[in-house]
Amino acid sequence: MMPTIFIALFGAAAIWFGVRVFQTSSMVRSALSLLGAMAAIGGMFLAMEAEFLGVLQLMMMATEMSIMAIFMVMYMMDPGGLGQMDMSHQQREALAAGIVATLLAVAVALLVNWGTVAKEVDSTTVQLRALGIEIMERSMLLFETVGVTILVSMIAAIAVAVAREPKR
Amino acid sequence: MTTLILALIIGAVLFGIGLYGALSQTNLVMIMMGVELMLGATMVNLVAFWRFLHPDVYAGQMFVLVVMTVMAVEAAVGFGLGTARFRAKGSVEMEEAAELKG
Repeated sequence: MMPTIFIALFGAAAIWFGVRVFQTSSMVRSALSLLGAMAAIGGMFLAMEAEFLGVLQLMMMATEMSIMAIFMVMYMMDPGGLGQMDMSHQQREALAAGIVATLLAVAVALLVNWGTVAKEVDSTTVQLRALGIEIMERSMLLFETVGVTILVSMIAAIAVAVAREPKR
Repeated sequence: MTTLILALIIGAVLFGIGLYGALSQTNLVMIMMGVELMLGATMVNLVAFWRFLHPDVYAGQMFVLVVMTVMAVEAAVGFGLGTARFRAKGSVEMEEAAELKG
């Protein structure tokens, strides 16, 4: 019963922070709200007994959202939202798309017969060992591909962002 | 209502909020925030599937690691493009980027 309550609490927090991301006109508050949503998702992972993923999510998102906040301040004319600039368009269509997608996904969640639900999971130590073996054995190729992908994307991002000297 | 369905509903709502944000915002960084929320919702679903349906198969957790990497890749490429755009035009407003249509 307790995990269900925690999942509901963290889930409600994630949804509330998620809504706040697009409600405030301050970019810094948006980034911090997204950090809150991602931290709440990390809390849900912990409540679902995926401790490694929960801690990883908290650490990764804290860093990523802080960087996002810095970029916001760098790029925005009005990062504090004091000028109350409107930075949205096609609100009605976007809202309709969001509601339809949510309803479809909720319908799938409610209508599908998910079968037997597992009551217990392995302890954290066993989980970590099993995940390590999974990464180093069956999913080795996938893990290597993911590593190379992120390396290539970092190089590509730097190549795209670097300033070019005008031709003489 | 089982805990699995509760987690899936939370994921669905988060995905809807992210989709709304990605479609309604004009700023590149705000669009990226919407995409991040959608990917976060995906991870909630994946962890819920792993926990409640197949806790003995760790490919589920591996899949979450892949989605986390996708989030990092999206942020890296998005900020790279944003920096290039800001240097060229002084703005990351996507309504002013219609020429990117080609």
